[in-house]
Amino acid sequence: MSALGTDSMKDDKKMAADGGFEPNIVGFLCNWCSYAGADLAGTSRMQYPPNVKIIRVPCSGRVNPLFILKCLMDGADGVLISGCHIGDCHYSEGNYYARRRFAVLKNFLEYIGIDPRRFQMSWVSAAEGDKWAKVVKEVVEDIRNAGPNTISAEKK
Amino acid sequence: MIEEIRQKAKELLAASKVDMVIGYRRSGDGVSTVPAFIDSAQDVDSLVWDQNCVYNLANYLREFPGKKIGVVAKGCDARAIVVLLQENQLERENLFIIGVECGVTDISEKCAACPRTVSAICDILIKEKGRKSGAPGNEKDAYAAVEALEARRAEERLGLWREEFSRCIRCYACRQVCPMCYCPKCVADQTMPAWFSKATSLEGNFAWNVTRAFHLAGRCVDCGECERACPVGIPLRDLNKKLEKEAKELYKYEAGSSVEAKPLFASYDKDDPKDFIK
Repeated sequence: MSALGTDSMKDDKKMAADGGFEPNIVGFLCNWCSYAGADLAGTSRMQYPPNVKIIRVPCSGRVNPLFILKCLMDGADGVLISGCHIGDCHYSEGNYYARRRFAVLKNFLEYIGIDPRRFQMSWVSAAEGDKWAKVVKEVVEDIRNAGPNTISAEKK
Repeated sequence: MIEEIRQKAKELLAASKVDMVIGYRRSGDGVSTVPAFIDSAQDVDSLVWDQNCVYNLANYLREFPGKKIGVVAKGCDARAIVVLLQENQLERENLFIIGVECGVTDISEKCAACPRTVSAICDILIKEKGRKSGAPGNEKDAYAAVEALEARRAEERLGLWREEFSRCIRCYACRQVCPMCYCPKCVADQTMPAWFSKATSLEGNFAWNVTRAFHLAGRCVDCGECERACPVGIPLRDLNKKLEKEAKELYKYEAGSSVEAKPLFASYDKDDPKDFIK
């Protein structure tokens, strides 16, 4: 296991009962909004797919593009970053910086041939448990359609 | 031109206005050039200027903190100096920039599409004789290679880059020649955490090349040194140009155009693109 503990992802491609592909998605959620929003979805007993593995970060602006790359290189099928709505950032402007950075990253990943569906972003507030459930459903469906991640798989 | 460069260098050194002049001198093979570090007025005659002066001399400026340096700068070198000044890596008052108007197309492939052959920032501009000053570059074709790639199917693009990156031997020559790659500890050298494999595996190579390119987003001035230095011929400029294009299209930002401007990712606008966010 590496320092970040994601090495096992490659072997962790779970298959659903019917043999379909179950995507493995990493979610980076800001502590102040989206993480609480996901918590609300849980305490409200909303049903949504369990494919997103959540990593709590202080702010969406804390997310380094290396995090996304690391996830994709280590076999995650997709990455979702979620933070506070614009104007609601706990640190005033963290999500502005994130938005600018990841707009470029998304287009760049697409340019090198990585399906843009594998990298997604959302703004979910602490009161939007229902939105979180909806976002996850959409993202999981998107990535299910994109298929398993083979970006760094060596040619057999 | 070379007489004017030598004259200026001599003047600066003799008057102790600078401690050193960085320019180009002939290398042992009699054709190509190497960087020259001249600290005495008697040695200025070894300076040369021709189409073989490829190196981006901005790369050396950070090595002499506190010293006054005169530097020969082509259009692209000067843009690199602007970015370094923006990022507080250099002190303007310690620099004397000898801008040279370069002969276009002669130096390398990138020059054919160079938008500005004249130094963006200089204390003196030495002009090429017989050339119309400020002749526009051939900017129309600057993104031809990028657009050709964009037009291909995603799987083709991935296949192509996988193929290119699989040749990488991780010599990090691209990093060493880059004036913008000055992190005290490069992510590629970190072990705690190890961001990506150091082996020449496809995974590590892919991650390294993508990381390197993205770290230059909004900072790369397209001096083309990385691609020139690459021993296995990976078209690194196609990555850099894509990011340059994105910065231009999304944020109207051009690296190296203004010392006062805030770096691309150290600023934001309330009206930045947001359609990709759910």
